[in-house]
Amino acid sequence: MMVPPKTPIWMISPAMTSPNPHCSLCYILQSKQGARFQRYAMEVQHFQVQLYLAIGFGLIFLVMSSNAMPTTHEEQKCFGEKYVTKTYFKIHDSLIDSQFEEFIANKIPLGLCDVHQDERYFVPRLLAMHRNLIGVGSHRQLSSSIRIKMQGESKSKLPAQSCQVIIIEKLPSGGFADPFELQHLVHRGVFTDVAVLGDTNLELPSFRSNRSVVEIHLDMGYNMSSGVKDELKINLRLPLHARYAPLGHGFSKVEFGQPDLLMRCSFEGKAFDGSCSFMLKNDDVDYKASPIIWEVPCGIKEHAGVVSAVTFLSAIVSALLIVKTSIYHSHNTIF
Amino acid sequence: MDKINFRFLFIISAILGVFLILYGEWQDTHMEVRYTDVDYLVFSDAAALMASGKSPYERSTYRYSPLIAALLLPNSFLHHMWGKFLFSASDLLVGLLIHTILKLRGVPEKLCTSSLMVWLFNPFTFTIGTRGNCEPIVCAVILWIILCLMNDQLVQAAFWYGLVHLRIYPIIYALPITLVLHPLHFQSGKKPALVDWSSRKLMSLNGSSKLRFTVLQFIRNFLTSIFTWRGLVFGFVSGSIFFILTGLCFYFYGWDFLDEALLYHLTRTDPRHNFSIYFYHIYLHYEQEFSSLEKLISFLPQFIVQLALIFRFAYDLPFCFFVQTLTFVAFNKVITAQYFVWFFCLLPLILPWSNMKLT
Repeated sequence: MMVPPKTPIWMISPAMTSPNPHCSLCYILQSKQGARFQRYAMEVQHFQVQLYLAIGFGLIFLVMSSNAMPTTHEEQKCFGEKYVTKTYFKIHDSLIDSQFEEFIANKIPLGLCDVHQDERYFVPRLLAMHRNLIGVGSHRQLSSSIRIKMQGESKSKLPAQSCQVIIIEKLPSGGFADPFELQHLVHRGVFTDVAVLGDTNLELPSFRSNRSVVEIHLDMGYNMSSGVKDELKINLRLPLHARYAPLGHGFSKVEFGQPDLLMRCSFEGKAFDGSCSFMLKNDDVDYKASPIIWEVPCGIKEHAGVVSAVTFLSAIVSALLIVKTSIYHSHNTIF
Repeated sequence: MDKINFRFLFIISAILGVFLILYGEWQDTHMEVRYTDVDYLVFSDAAALMASGKSPYERSTYRYSPLIAALLLPNSFLHHMWGKFLFSASDLLVGLLIHTILKLRGVPEKLCTSSLMVWLFNPFTFTIGTRGNCEPIVCAVILWIILCLMNDQLVQAAFWYGLVHLRIYPIIYALPITLVLHPLHFQSGKKPALVDWSSRKLMSLNGSSKLRFTVLQFIRNFLTSIFTWRGLVFGFVSGSIFFILTGLCFYFYGWDFLDEALLYHLTRTDPRHNFSIYFYHIYLHYEQEFSSLEKLISFLPQFIVQLALIFRFAYDLPFCFFVQTLTFVAFNKVITAQYFVWFFCLLPLILPWSNMKLT
């Protein structure tokens, strides 16, 4: 077998004796060593593009790092008051139903309207709430249709200027809402505001996740002192996604409870000026009879042994096949 | 006639790219299922965060280098489609590089054009760029490295190889490049002895070829090639670029960057992407932690296959890259659809040599 003789690195090949007109450093060095330096000088010139790129990126980084905007404390305070649930998560670590009920009853920021003491406000009442899980597969929508009675019994009660309905969905750990998708809906005007609080991770399976809460704000947007509307109808669709369920048999059930409904109204008048929240209680017993259940498919634990054996066997067999083919591959053909 | 053919392909490809990007905008707004990839939205959000001075890692599921978010900064102040145009342009650049490499290896024009069409008009690859995935950029860098090695521009190739910081997988090319840089095959001033088109016919006539070595010589070549001057220069330059880039990003973004952009990919075992052969095994065992033995055993087939392919095919560099990437993806614990593009960009480089009838 013929092995070509090694060409030492310092020997010139004929093509390299004439200096390259594009290489300004090359004219200087013409000797045997010069040719070698000439080539490296050309490489340095090629490097200019990379140098500029590196400087460009460096500048970008510098500009970005010096542009950091500090978040003001005021913003945080406002955010805490804007979203009811945020205050809950400041006090508690995770979502527990009983704690949340107690929080809603007693500790809401802006406070519950003092309906019993003063009798100065109208009281909105929840007429009906129907809930449904729409769609198939791992990505579905929780649809709620809500009817609220707005007009007060007597005209002496103070009408609200503007009201905002707040729907607080307490999600089980088997499902989650994508905050980015919800922000997209806010931009399109479907909701006024949305916040997802609690465990907002998008990727972990349910046994490694905690519960989350979705708070949706919908502006009712009309001036009620001119009071034409008697009833408010709200149709809401919340996109939800299933988390991977723990292993079991067939399907695992994810149960959705009832949301908490609040109505935050602002009042203007001689007697009272400000905002407060009404708690809309659902006295309808229907929902307890037929809760919303999402059946999420789960893996079968008994299959684990067989699956692992087949997986590793096929991996090893195919690896060995490839190794054998490449060793015994004929040297005369490429493929 | 030949030049018109290639330019014609290029122009049609460019028009197709623009059309698909505009169509994507329409589909996004009018249909339930979006044309744009979720990853593109992640990049854009991260770029927007970066533009306002915060860390791109505040965007959950952003698991790339900050450089990619930096590339998409014009998304915030120019137009949100900037990123897609950039990625489609890299798609065309990959086409151009494939054409250059094939011409350099002396492939006839018609065969060259057919091979090029495998990349430019492959529905898998032209949708990847127009949907907003950053893979065409990495592919362009890999092809540029091959071109630089073929043109004997060692330092340039090493510089771009340092961009392994963007995607970890090109690290598998380190060994074949080091072997190819051995002075026996890579004489300074001359082009490396990659299999040329004209030598294809000669190979079948001439029994012994330059590429044939005994096992002992393989081992000797391997040990000596690691310590050649050229190998060391290559390693030094690419290593410094990698560490400089990584260090800079670490300085600005701290441990978030290391965890999300680098370490996550090395230890990734998520059961949510199910192309991989290990998917169901990982899903069923997710509740228990994986023992080190299990991790080693699942890593072993990949490792053995890579070594075998490197030692057998290192001297035909494009073919070696192709089979290495293909087996790396096939034996990986996680496969997402965009990984296929990694070897699709190398396929046109080796198609002329196959025994299939292409023309």
